[in-house]
Amino acid sequence: MSGHGASSLAHWAERIRAAAAGRSHLRLRGGGSKDFYGCGPDAGNPDTLGTRDYAGIVAYEPTELVVTARCGTPLAELEAVLAEQGQSLAFEPPHFGSEATVGGCVAAGLSGPRRAQAGALRDFVLGVKMLDGNGDLLTFGGQVMKNVAGYDVPRLLAGSLGTLGLIAEVSLKVLPLPVAEHTLRFELAQQEALDLLNRWGGRPLPISASAWRGDALHVRFSGAAAAVGAAANSLVGLGGQPVAAAEASAFWHSLREQTHAFFAGDAPLWRLAVPSTTPVLAVDGMRSDAQLVEWGGAQRWLRGEGDHAAAIRALATEAGGHATLFRGDAATRASSGAFQPLSAPLLRLHRNLKAAFDPRGVFNPGRLYPEF
Amino acid sequence: MQTHLADFIEGTPEGREADTILRSCVHCGFCTATCPTYQLLGDELDGPRGRIYLIKQMLEGRPVSRLTQVHLDRCLSCRSCETTCPSGVNYHRLLDIGRGVVERCVPRPMAEKAMRFLLREALPRPWLFGAAVKLGRWMRPLLPPALADKVPATPGEGAGAWPKAAAHKRRMIVLAGCVQPALAPDTNAAAARVLDKLGIALFEAAGAGCCGALRYHLDAHERALADMRRLIDAWWPHVDSEQFGGIEAIVMTASGCGAHVRDFGALLGHDPVYAGKAARISALTRDISEVLDAEREGLAALLGEAGAGTGPEVSFHSPCTLQHGQKVRGVVESLLAVAGYRLSPVAGAHLCCGSAGTYSITQPALSTRLRDNKLAALGAGSPAVFATANVGCQTHLQSGTATPVRHWIELIDERLNG
Amino acid sequence: MSIDNEIGAPRCVVGRRQLIAQLRTVLPPHCLLIEEEELRPYECDGLTAYRQLPSLVALPENEAQAQAALEICAALNAPVVPRGAATGLSGGAMPHRDGVVVSLAKLKRIVKLDPLARTAVVQPGVRNLAVSEAAAPYGLYYAPDPSSQIACTIGGNVAENSGGVHCLKYGLTVHNVLRVRGLTVDGEIVEFGNAALDAPGYDLLALMNGSEGMLALITEVTVKLTPKPELAQVVLASFDEVTKAGDAVAGIIAAGIIPAGLEMMDKKATHAVEPYVNAGYDMDAEAILLCESDGTPEEVAEEIARMKAVLEHSGASGIRVSQNEAERLKFWAGRKAAFPAVGRITPDYLCMDGTIPRKNLARMLVAIAEMEVRYGLRCANVFHAGDGNLHPLIMYDANVPGQLDLATAFGAEILELSVELGGTITGEHGVGIEKIGQMCAQFSPDELDLFRRLKRAFDPGGLLNPGKAIPAAARCREYRLTRGAAPLAGSVR
Repeated sequence: MSGHGASSLAHWAERIRAAAAGRSHLRLRGGGSKDFYGCGPDAGNPDTLGTRDYAGIVAYEPTELVVTARCGTPLAELEAVLAEQGQSLAFEPPHFGSEATVGGCVAAGLSGPRRAQAGALRDFVLGVKMLDGNGDLLTFGGQVMKNVAGYDVPRLLAGSLGTLGLIAEVSLKVLPLPVAEHTLRFELAQQEALDLLNRWGGRPLPISASAWRGDALHVRFSGAAAAVGAAANSLVGLGGQPVAAAEASAFWHSLREQTHAFFAGDAPLWRLAVPSTTPVLAVDGMRSDAQLVEWGGAQRWLRGEGDHAAAIRALATEAGGHATLFRGDAATRASSGAFQPLSAPLLRLHRNLKAAFDPRGVFNPGRLYPEF
Repeated sequence: MQTHLADFIEGTPEGREADTILRSCVHCGFCTATCPTYQLLGDELDGPRGRIYLIKQMLEGRPVSRLTQVHLDRCLSCRSCETTCPSGVNYHRLLDIGRGVVERCVPRPMAEKAMRFLLREALPRPWLFGAAVKLGRWMRPLLPPALADKVPATPGEGAGAWPKAAAHKRRMIVLAGCVQPALAPDTNAAAARVLDKLGIALFEAAGAGCCGALRYHLDAHERALADMRRLIDAWWPHVDSEQFGGIEAIVMTASGCGAHVRDFGALLGHDPVYAGKAARISALTRDISEVLDAEREGLAALLGEAGAGTGPEVSFHSPCTLQHGQKVRGVVESLLAVAGYRLSPVAGAHLCCGSAGTYSITQPALSTRLRDNKLAALGAGSPAVFATANVGCQTHLQSGTATPVRHWIELIDERLNG
Repeated sequence: MSIDNEIGAPRCVVGRRQLIAQLRTVLPPHCLLIEEEELRPYECDGLTAYRQLPSLVALPENEAQAQAALEICAALNAPVVPRGAATGLSGGAMPHRDGVVVSLAKLKRIVKLDPLARTAVVQPGVRNLAVSEAAAPYGLYYAPDPSSQIACTIGGNVAENSGGVHCLKYGLTVHNVLRVRGLTVDGEIVEFGNAALDAPGYDLLALMNGSEGMLALITEVTVKLTPKPELAQVVLASFDEVTKAGDAVAGIIAAGIIPAGLEMMDKKATHAVEPYVNAGYDMDAEAILLCESDGTPEEVAEEIARMKAVLEHSGASGIRVSQNEAERLKFWAGRKAAFPAVGRITPDYLCMDGTIPRKNLARMLVAIAEMEVRYGLRCANVFHAGDGNLHPLIMYDANVPGQLDLATAFGAEILELSVELGGTITGEHGVGIEKIGQMCAQFSPDELDLFRRLKRAFDPGGLLNPGKAIPAAARCREYRLTRGAAPLAGSVR
């Protein structure tokens, strides 16, 4: 645990105020494990403000189901401490490297395979301590499960990529680790898999993750031993083959951390968030088998060389969702933007919010959208 | 809720009662959820909580006008809100008091006055109403639609035979009622036949007229109280004297009358002469379903093979005066099941059909919407027949459907005697 | 209580006649209320202690009418107070003196229900329970279930981020809403979230939840539907000491159990509801716990056994498990009707909503008992114990001069203690007008200033529900002065 927490916060506040006064920018950065995500973090050549030194778990009482940690705390360290008490971050955040920090995790707002069942990162953020663009140290939310005093700033910061302020400390809801887990594998084409996943989604089955790739559907069950056993048994009749525990665990880890073979190589990686019932997506000029489906059909990964941004985004919009250029070279990111463009009224609200939190535009300019 | 009643009513019996009721309301709004008019109109003023507020401000001495009257008029008095209310607000009493005050303060337009006069004077008089129905059948094409709908196009089947006066020891009175003899003449006869099989003699007392509910709900409170006293006088010899062998109960085959007769004790509570008698009458009053429920074993034995889900499908509309007013719930449904009928589920079973006494005539637009919603819910499972427990609901529903709408006791009678 | 100096309250008086004339051009006659006689019933929501006659009430029948009305209000600088079923307990829908109440109760259509995608698109005036009723034929339901769910509307649920008795496991409104369509203050249509699980940019959907009608006027909501568990059973445990019940709550969580619901009622609360509901509560118990398990039959059997073991270990004096669905609903009925049922034993009550770390439940109960004596008012306690969310019901009689002030001071002390114990002044009812003073206790001037900036990002003129939730700087200066000079404990007696 860092012994000079207060002094580093004061130091950061000073840097922020100086940047604001001098109309310069600051690039907020934790472990740098998600530098690839979003738009150019180096727009306008900003100074980097690294947050790794401000680390440590501030409070953790397992019976309260809450952990409070400083932004620089390594994500792996936090998860290890929770695991010792039989608890976890149920949204299974991806680390994308051992350097990943808690602050970066919240700022990126990404969730892993369990998201469709357990909820997203933002659903678990209970409170934050932050520095705004004036260098003021502010606290929002808290350590309790329910809190509607004032606007929900903690959830607003989740996924804001450091553009609204510096997340200094965060309180997260934690949950007990499932007692039992069991994975089944089905041989299915993508559309069949989508149909099944949606039908199962309407039944009270303890499905905690699902993934379709290359004509195989993996489904994970989590919960009480009896429930997992009963649920898995009820689906074995449909051709489900049990997957050995170690193999299953490695498989889900490879999806969470994108170390699965699907994610290898340099071809742009597109993430589409769509309604789970959206039929198989087809993009002209892209190989139809270069797809991976997660979250019961609600998250689709597409890969392919070439400039398909317009077609993919149109497809996602038509389905009622949106598309993110999750990984891609700087040139593609610069030309197509990482994130789906906003409607005019939404863009106006984004700009206004940015100005409300960071009036001088100090933090991570352009990281989310080039306009702010 | 906080109250500051105005001088004109504070300290009067009505004022004290209203104050107690107002103060029991915590303004939670649960009542709006099950109020038929609020569900249709979505205006606070057309739900119980808003009406309570309208009455409150009037009793607190704020100016009152036609605006308040319109919203109080729209209330069906179905008392669905009372079933929902967790605070136990005696809404219908407050409404009665409130309507009485409005009636004194706010003049009605001429046409409305005439309509209400006609309803008040004609309906409670069986001889006049019966003649009017016969005439009406004739005049149907000339009547305004709201009224024409209520007049059956063809005469219903006449009253079936009453059982021969058997020497049963057990005796009960049944109320003939004012409009039922003309519109559903077989209901009481069917009840008598069913009870006869169970060893109970049912008879109508001579000189018994209208129970007073109609006039009471048209805000003619004094006239209504007179009706009630007259009815008590007609019944009293049977209740009080051994001369007629005494009676076990006063049976109601129209739940609208039942709910009102059960209120006699409260409504005449301040009458030095009638208070005691009225309370006794109320205590003796039973809906026909409660009487049969107590004879369930005997009924099941009589039906024997006829039971066990072999009968036709029927959907039951529980009148508000039965389920909310008298708080008799689920009894008719289970009796029909005992008699072998298969019951279709009915969505929104707590909602009023729009009949509500004279509501179908005074508020035709809302009434028709509620009726059509109710008929859609009743018909969802395509049953052969709709059953209900109040003559008002029966004729109102029948005016919008070709599916027969009958009093449920007639269905039981058919299984027993058919 | 002056609210005119709260943030964004308009400075100039609106021309009421002009407002009426223009609104008449876009609303049918029965959708615009202008006479005092009709406006009075709109002067408060579920919190009757705070009342304000509105200038006008508009009842749009569709989004286009709402939009047109909003445009007119914005142009004439008239405040707008959105209203759903007005079951709220913090005065969030209390009108503004110069403002138009925009009731969305007529927008009550379920636009679309997609059982396969497990979503429903509903208008804001649809009742919470109506969504579950519509979804029931498909084995689905809408999970958040505030006690007022029979009457409260989805629009209001979003505005308050309503919870319920099952949110420890199934989440609050914010966790069960995918998309909110609304109107900005100048009548522009805007969509937060979408039909997928997330949306690009800032999480404005999360921000809309709990924003108390101050950021946009909601005209449509897409909610998530959840498959109905195969089985649910509830354990009803009695305790002869409230502190034992408090400890049992911590014990359940410590055992790694996340109950579907975990509720606590003290003796005064059970005695209020039992005569009305006949739920079968133990009338001798000082406190009861309702602890629910749901899932597959195997899962439930396993979990109920574990729950019973913890409850026994914590010293429960009686334990009953619901044997069928009817009994389960009966056990819950008492809890769901608890607030208004207290209306049977008192003419008025204030319902508090503080949330504290679970470990402090017992401490809070002891403190409340002490306050009862000091203020001379009774207080029944109903807790969402699993979430640490307290609903103390302070009983008073508004007809007795001075009692409302006493009750308000009592409530303020509970809320301030909630903050002191590491919690918050409101878990699910919202700040509204009721707790606006205590916002000054929970947040620093800088934090409140950020809230004001955030508000202006959406509503620069401060026309949407002005005077609610976020206190003006002047109010907080006054609050700090009075609280500093005369601590509550000393101000009574």
